[in-house]
Amino acid sequence: MIFRTPKQVGEWVNRTKKINFTFEGEEFSAFEGDTISSALWAAGQKVLGRSFKYHRARGVLSLANHDVNVLVTDGIDTNIRADVVEVKQGMVLTAVNTSGGVKKDKNSYIDSISPLLPVGFYYKAFHTPRRLFPFWESVIRKAAGLGIVNFDYPRILKRKTHSHCDVLVVGAGPTGLTAACTAAEAGLEVTIVDENRQLGGSLGYNRAGDSSVVTELDSLMSKVASLPNIKVMTGAYAAGYYPDHLIPIVSEAGINKVRAKSVIVASGAFEQPPVFRYNDLPGVMLGSAAQRLLYRYAVKPFNNGIVVTANDYGYRVALDLFQAGTKIVALVDMRPTGSTAYAAALAKRGVKVYTGHCVYEAIASSDKSGVRGAIICAYDEKQSIALTDTKFTLECDGIAMSAGWAPAGALLYQAGTGMQFDYGVEQFVPSRLPNGMFAAGKVNGIFELEQRLRDGVRAANDVIRHLGGQAPQNDVEKHVGISPSHAYPMVPHPKGKNFVDFDEDIQIKDFVNAAKEGFDNIELMKRFTTVGMGPSQGKHSNMNAIRILARIRGLPVEKIGTTTSRPFFHPTPIGHLGGRGFHSHRLTSLHDWHQANGAVFTDIGAWKRAAYYPAAGQSKEDAIQTEALAVRKTAGIIDGSSFGKIEIHGPDAALFLERFFTGVYTDQKVGSCRYVMLLDETGVVVDDGIASRLADDLFYLSIGTSNAAAVYREMQRSQQMWQLNIGLVNVTGAFGAINIAGPAAREILSTLTDLDLSYESFPMSSVRESHVAGVETRMIRVAFVADNGYELHAPMGQIPHLWNALIEAGKKHALRPFGSDTQRLLRLEMGHAMPGVDTDGLTNPFEIGADWAIKMDKPYFIGQRSLTILAKRPLRKQLVPFVLAENYKGEMPMDCNLVVDGRDILGRVTSISYSKYLDRCIGFAYVTPARKEVGSVFQIRADSGALVAATVVKSPFIKTLKGA
Amino acid sequence: MQQFDVKSIIQTSPVAHAQPRDSAKWEVINSMDTAVQFASAAIEDARKKVLGVADVSCLARYGVKGPNATQWLLERGIAIPTTPNSWTMCEQKTLVLRLGSSEFLIEDQLGGSACSRLASDTNRVASVYKVPRADAAFIVSGSEALNLLSELCSLDLREKSLAAKDLIMTQVAGISATVIRQTLNGEPVYRIWCDGTYGPYMWEVLIEIATELGGGAVGLVQYQSS
Amino acid sequence: MKLLTCPMNGTRPLSEFVFGGEYRQAPDQDTCTDAQWAAFVHNRSGAPGDKKEWWYHSPSGTWFIAERNTLTDKVTSTYLLGQKDTTQEAGK
Repeated sequence: MIFRTPKQVGEWVNRTKKINFTFEGEEFSAFEGDTISSALWAAGQKVLGRSFKYHRARGVLSLANHDVNVLVTDGIDTNIRADVVEVKQGMVLTAVNTSGGVKKDKNSYIDSISPLLPVGFYYKAFHTPRRLFPFWESVIRKAAGLGIVNFDYPRILKRKTHSHCDVLVVGAGPTGLTAACTAAEAGLEVTIVDENRQLGGSLGYNRAGDSSVVTELDSLMSKVASLPNIKVMTGAYAAGYYPDHLIPIVSEAGINKVRAKSVIVASGAFEQPPVFRYNDLPGVMLGSAAQRLLYRYAVKPFNNGIVVTANDYGYRVALDLFQAGTKIVALVDMRPTGSTAYAAALAKRGVKVYTGHCVYEAIASSDKSGVRGAIICAYDEKQSIALTDTKFTLECDGIAMSAGWAPAGALLYQAGTGMQFDYGVEQFVPSRLPNGMFAAGKVNGIFELEQRLRDGVRAANDVIRHLGGQAPQNDVEKHVGISPSHAYPMVPHPKGKNFVDFDEDIQIKDFVNAAKEGFDNIELMKRFTTVGMGPSQGKHSNMNAIRILARIRGLPVEKIGTTTSRPFFHPTPIGHLGGRGFHSHRLTSLHDWHQANGAVFTDIGAWKRAAYYPAAGQSKEDAIQTEALAVRKTAGIIDGSSFGKIEIHGPDAALFLERFFTGVYTDQKVGSCRYVMLLDETGVVVDDGIASRLADDLFYLSIGTSNAAAVYREMQRSQQMWQLNIGLVNVTGAFGAINIAGPAAREILSTLTDLDLSYESFPMSSVRESHVAGVETRMIRVAFVADNGYELHAPMGQIPHLWNALIEAGKKHALRPFGSDTQRLLRLEMGHAMPGVDTDGLTNPFEIGADWAIKMDKPYFIGQRSLTILAKRPLRKQLVPFVLAENYKGEMPMDCNLVVDGRDILGRVTSISYSKYLDRCIGFAYVTPARKEVGSVFQIRADSGALVAATVVKSPFIKTLKGA
Repeated sequence: MQQFDVKSIIQTSPVAHAQPRDSAKWEVINSMDTAVQFASAAIEDARKKVLGVADVSCLARYGVKGPNATQWLLERGIAIPTTPNSWTMCEQKTLVLRLGSSEFLIEDQLGGSACSRLASDTNRVASVYKVPRADAAFIVSGSEALNLLSELCSLDLREKSLAAKDLIMTQVAGISATVIRQTLNGEPVYRIWCDGTYGPYMWEVLIEIATELGGGAVGLVQYQSS
Repeated sequence: MKLLTCPMNGTRPLSEFVFGGEYRQAPDQDTCTDAQWAAFVHNRSGAPGDKKEWWYHSPSGTWFIAERNTLTDKVTSTYLLGQKDTTQEAGK
């Protein structure tokens, strides 16, 4: 049967464009603009999906993005919401969560045994014995669920952009459109967003049989179009509220994060179903769903229908259906009085109205694929029960149901809006709005069109005033007359299947059971019954759940409260959330050289550093040992451009360093270098480095790579407090550095500079400024990786020239590059402990034997006062250099392996490595002070549990073991 | 000892690692090897209308900061932007960027000489501190420039929010950068500076998005006045 | 994302800032007792209320003080250390 109607005014389908697709193997055609559901419904296909738990047949419920029993798969995409997603040419669709197809789902037997499966059943039945739970879990997960995730899904990353506006209007119904126009006419920059493809909201379909309202929508839309300062975003949803009015708007294209100066929430309300037995059959749908089918897609919901209502809205739906040619078998009004506004209009059209009646039960067709009738009873509104002795049956092929509304208030809740229950409209309305947030229309409990239009203007005026403009001030109007929502539209039935939550197949009795089990708080009940936890997130179920719980507990609704609403409001693809990956990284000017010479790179802070340069087929370990040997025997060269480099200028430069670091710098001679150690105020070691004095009023500081930014930041903060006469210049990125080290280093260097490199005139720990290979260079003699080492600091852009000149000059000395991993080994051989490697967030300088670097007799330095306290206490641990036995061939202990004595933990290994040069395993470890003396032996527990003996030695290792 | 002529030392643009060595045309500008053309003039023209990204790291720069920096620059004939975080232009179209209140970045455009003049003055003066620069610098322009920047920067960079002489220090693609709007040869452009060591990363990001939006890399000559 | 106003650079998203901890006056280290000093370096008051905090604007390298109520998360003013008189109201 074909349900397509003649052309409707304002329909969204384009009849000139036909689309072909398949659903469950059958071929269908549609018009461009149809959703998957509307196209199928137009063709008479009513079983569109199966429910999550009982595998019951389901059709159209809301047609408003919460028909989550109608999720379909198309190729690699799954969980597509058929009620709102436009059908496309060539789609090959199947329903999710079926066994053998949507029509004859083999799992539908679960429905017949559902009385055996009360809420909490699976958990209680299968959680012991625990070892079997994974088995049952897998069975249950296969039977209940949604689409199957395709693990070959391509990585589709969408853009995340930012935009800005004065006011963001969420919802483009009549209220939102009016608000947007009012704000725009006052000169504000407006963005209006709506999840629907077209503007208008309910103004497009809530017609009560009179399509002249469409002209009102047309004039609003042309007004919007005429205002250039309104940006319209349709097919996009406001997904959440984040502080200071940051609203991510999700569309097919990606996420646009809108930073608004103010927000008007005109998001409307979700229609709520009355609850009666078999209210879920295909053909039973919300009144607004019937209207959407009819006016957006020109599809007749059914031919011979019943409208069941608990408010006046159902009458409007009946008039719409009537106008479209549907025979209205009856209008069943659960209220005893009926509608004064619309009764006459229906009577005129000969529609039979049963006031004070309810649908006691919808009757399924023989194959349970639809409705063939309904059992009607008189309804005792006070007791909320059907009077079954009055029951009679009416035949029909569909039921439209209206019972009331729940505000689409997710953004309001997330923004921290205070909500209170208004009994005049039987709904929660905002009572206290956060600064810059405004609500308008149905979320305020305002349903009459004229009132909503005025409320849109009122909200826009509030925004104009909020942003400093002039506009009239009016209060939110009150709804007048009968409540648009019914206080308790529930029809109990001894056999149940009266669904509250269609996502999760939750019935009234499930709430009663949950309460009996003690889960009678809304948050607990939500988790026990899972109400509102399905993909529609309670849009059609939370309000009824609250009403039921209030009834069970004998409390007013507002005492029950609502569950927490969190972003995102709607499921959003991971590719949207991820966006384009930004992985910022820093490269030195030698990066291309390292790459060309086979370097393996490692990430250190933001930097890519060459870790080592393996020859073809060479292992990492071999490469590192070979590079280290070169430094010991001839010479090695490393790119140290990532080191932190900071200049301290000014007359107070030395004083600044003395306050910032632990040492003394005021008497440091120009041309000399001193060790610097930074503590925090608790006396914990933060970092160390070298301060080179280039002039009385200029120090050049070089520090490790990973802490450089943080150290510079702390220097800025200290200067902010101390206000000394200095200037800090961070030259980390502007300067590069090269370290050339080893016995031949001096000779290689001497071919490129005319500076006197003799040990007398350029001794250890001194700095010279000279030209090397024509480049102005700061040369620092350091012994970090070898006794004969020179750090050459020069402008980053000239580093490649300098490097190439050194490599060229070093050819006859077997100079070779080494990487940062090799540097680790070399400094270990030299006996240098590294902050952050050999220290942790609790290590004080005494524990690493750095007492020599601490000048306690200064007036002040960071951490000094804490050290005076620590100095009085006995040491708890001590970092010691150790070796393993000669020719040790057992399991190699690792960094962080524990130092143990029986069951006691004495400390841990911080660095350990085999050194080919020393032919020994060497390392640093923390031990108890009793074991710190040279010659002490302690046990390291390796990963396997094996105990490895280690002996404390004197450092540096190269002196102790080689006498170098 | 080996002799070197300082002037003959050719640097390479900090961005070069991310640029095509073979398909682009390279030229030495201000002693810096720079990719000056990425495609035919016609293609670059077309790109630039939509979204052109140029590497202008080779322009000469001079940095200085300190309480007396303003005075020092004024004495050397450099115009000072009147308010913190703004910029101005002096002779030869040299840009003077005021970073915060007491730090300055001077950038010569091609043919300018202010920076070399300032650099030749090596006397250290109290409360004037030279700031060595090694920036990666970019020009972004075209009808989709704002679209591109809206993905990289959370601030409103439209004309109504970023005034003609405003300078902002913000994050672009997650790293610290300085941004201004400027009109070059009658065309509105954005100028972006970041630490040179981030240059290849920034170039990759800019080009990836620019290409998606229908633009791409263009040579800096595209922005020189004829 | 929250916005914060740097007194030098204006209003920016929080991602441009680094939190620097509560701004607290250290006791005189020459006259205070060990216990007073230990309390200063190790103890923090977690009680919600008005706090002065250090914040750092990364792109410009600006340290400043923000007065923030840690219960409401409202920042009432931001200013450079010692320059409260020239402060602007945050967010305006």
